[in-house]
Amino acid sequence: MRIIARFEKGEAVRFVSHLDIQRTFQRAFRRANIPLAYSQGFNPHPQLSFATALALGYTSEAEWFDVKLAEDMAPERFQEAVNAVLPTGFRILEAQAAEEKLPALTALMAASSHEVDFILPVSLSAESVISAFDAMAGGEIFVEKRTKGGMKTVDIRPMLLHYSFSQTADSLKLSVFGVSDAKGSLNIDLLLGALSDKIPGEFSYRVHKNTIYSLDGRVMPQKPVFAC
Amino acid sequence: MDFQLLDKILSSVEKPARYMGGELNMTEKKDAELRFALAFPDVYEIGMSHLGSRILYNVLNMREDTICERVYAPWPDMEKALRENDMPLFTLETKRVLKECDVIGFSLLYEMCYTNILTMLDLSGIPFRAAERGDDMPLIVCGGPCACNPEPLAPFADAFLLGDGEELISEFADAVLAAKRQGLSKQELLVILSKIEGIYVPSFYEPVYDDNGLFIRMERANDAVPEKISRRVLKDLEHAPYLGKPIVPYMSIVHDRIALELFRGCTRGCRFCQAGFIYRPIRERKRETVMEQARALIGCTGYDEVSLFSLSSGDYSEIHELVPEIIDEFEKKRVSISFPSLRIDSFLKDDLEKMQSVRKAGLTFAPEAGTQRLRDVINKGVSEEDLLRSAKDAFESGWNSVKLYFMIGLPTETEEDLLGIADLARKVSELFYSMPKEKRGKGLRLAVSASSFVPKPFTPFQWEPQDYKETLIEKQKFLRAALKGIRGVEFAYHAPDISVLEAVFARGDRRLADVMERAYQSGARFDSWDEHYKPEAWSEAFETVGIDPSQYANRRRVPGEALPWGHIDMLVTEDYLKLELKRAHAAKTTKDCRKGCNGCFGEKYADYCKI
Ligand code: SF4
Repeated sequence: MRIIARFEKGEAVRFVSHLDIQRTFQRAFRRANIPLAYSQGFNPHPQLSFATALALGYTSEAEWFDVKLAEDMAPERFQEAVNAVLPTGFRILEAQAAEEKLPALTALMAASSHEVDFILPVSLSAESVISAFDAMAGGEIFVEKRTKGGMKTVDIRPMLLHYSFSQTADSLKLSVFGVSDAKGSLNIDLLLGALSDKIPGEFSYRVHKNTIYSLDGRVMPQKPVFAC
Repeated sequence: MDFQLLDKILSSVEKPARYMGGELNMTEKKDAELRFALAFPDVYEIGMSHLGSRILYNVLNMREDTICERVYAPWPDMEKALRENDMPLFTLETKRVLKECDVIGFSLLYEMCYTNILTMLDLSGIPFRAAERGDDMPLIVCGGPCACNPEPLAPFADAFLLGDGEELISEFADAVLAAKRQGLSKQELLVILSKIEGIYVPSFYEPVYDDNGLFIRMERANDAVPEKISRRVLKDLEHAPYLGKPIVPYMSIVHDRIALELFRGCTRGCRFCQAGFIYRPIRERKRETVMEQARALIGCTGYDEVSLFSLSSGDYSEIHELVPEIIDEFEKKRVSISFPSLRIDSFLKDDLEKMQSVRKAGLTFAPEAGTQRLRDVINKGVSEEDLLRSAKDAFESGWNSVKLYFMIGLPTETEEDLLGIADLARKVSELFYSMPKEKRGKGLRLAVSASSFVPKPFTPFQWEPQDYKETLIEKQKFLRAALKGIRGVEFAYHAPDISVLEAVFARGDRRLADVMERAYQSGARFDSWDEHYKPEAWSEAFETVGIDPSQYANRRRVPGEALPWGHIDMLVTEDYLKLELKRAHAAKTTKDCRKGCNGCFGEKYADYCKI
């Protein structure tokens, strides 16, 4: 059977790399005695795939994996059994049985939302960050992107679907909706790097991924319509 | 700890998982009466692969009164980040700075990690020299195989723990705790420690040199401290604590699998091998115990590979029962099995075929020398026929990747022995290609690796000179030329500079501490890594301190002359080592002592060995 699950990557494990997460789940499945299905062939491996690779240092409540089991198992029981053995920082938040013919997760996803928490030096006001961002979003946003053929300059503005700032006395948060599909995703680090180039003084930030959306609401929540 | 700053630092360094902790099965303690920092002077992925310190982690954390936390040498990028941000080095578990620990215990696995000890102390604001550390500073202790010649580190450490640590570490912890409760001074504690079997307190001993700077004897501060400090032997391995619930790292480490220790010690007596002498006698675990441990460890870690981890696992008395049993029981869980040190004369084709049904890893053979004569000199009981037969079996079972390990610069080596290496490689290669295509794998990968011989204390070769660096380089070149044109061969060798430095420190005396400190100050770090090794830092340090490294590396010692490690008793007698040296020069082999005792412990410790 096929199970699709959403999990959280918390504070304690935000520096765990994508490759290491795959291993973490494989080991957790073995500890929990989950009957994994293995691929045929010379070097059999479990059929486990992830929707996206989260950038190092981010936290998230929208990580998704897709796994095949050799025997049927109630998704709730799967969730419970795996959560009982996962290391601190990882937790499955929902698990659902999926039909075999459902496309892969990467084919389903369409957009994602992130929340950015700014840590500003005293010399930098929240207002100046907001207005710089507004100005930047008013035109093209060129960034240097590493591709197979070397560094390339690309405009990432079309990937930015919507954004909004929220501000309190001691915090500045940005929520960003961006394209995230099989062809590519809005890179938050590059976006903020471009912002940083337009601002005097250095800021740092923390990123949390909130949601991955699908186009039609299958498996993941449906992508909202943005008027921007 | 400034967590926001830590965050910033971790975001900026390579592989932050090295410093972050929080792995599965990490101790959940936050604090305890005795704070023990288990320090490993190399990077996380190497330190976490070391079985001994993982056992000690379990033993110490089993105690309610103790918290044991890990700390590894920061990679140069992390060191830089810590310095730039004025942040001290911290433990992985609770992010405690080392100064706030009662004990810092360093594991000494390799001489070329020594400078990292200084980095770790430096980044913690702890003075290097024991004499400069007051009672407010943690106690610095060292253990592990390199502690058998403690002298080059003697000025830095308060004490050394010699031999098996399972029992000793607890007795040590008891003593430190008692002293803490009674409010004893460090000096008073050291006196108590010096009376525990297996603990060496270097400040109670003073080396004496002659006018030419040659070490002539060790003087004791008083009669209360033992003349000879003997290592500890864990007599009952069967009931000794093992790994408990071991930590499962997130990032991949060098030895990323479950280690099953079948036995400790080795009976073969290869004359260059320090481990073969300093871990005697051989002590086995029962097969049921090994299987029980395997079950428990797979269950609590989820690892998909176990490795049979002993000095020569193939010698395990029940190896032909154990391997199939492991395969049968764990195959359905898709757990595979590997041997880190396969002896070519001690496994059977059947076992090979079973192993293959699970996963095909590379095969490793270590003939060490190219001719039978030289193999007799070093007492490596492996013949060419054995090797070729095993290789044939392996090829027939579908293997096509083989590693051959050799050493160059061995005592009595000649050109003929080097040519013998190429000869052996050629025969293995021809064997592979002479087999019908359908019966063998596709292309052969024959890795021939030549390391440089480093004479080590407590081996029969402890008196032997090492080849000069220039000679080693010439021999490498010669061998490379001889290997040319052999199908499938890839040749790898070690940087001779580093082997020379290793030889200096392996048989060094206390004055080398000055050299080491000096080299550290000029930037020496991670000396075994080619990209970090700084030859100028070392040559300058030797010069400034006025020490000629070749006196240590290339001088032949006369059996009977005073040795800087002479006050350490690793149980195998000096008489036995002398006898073995003689036999070596006569190219006479000594039998594996599973077949009958050779008397290596002499009379004093005869009852330590139950063989
Ligand atoms: S005492 Fe005898 S049997 Fe025991 S390790 Fe030494 S030589 Fe071998």
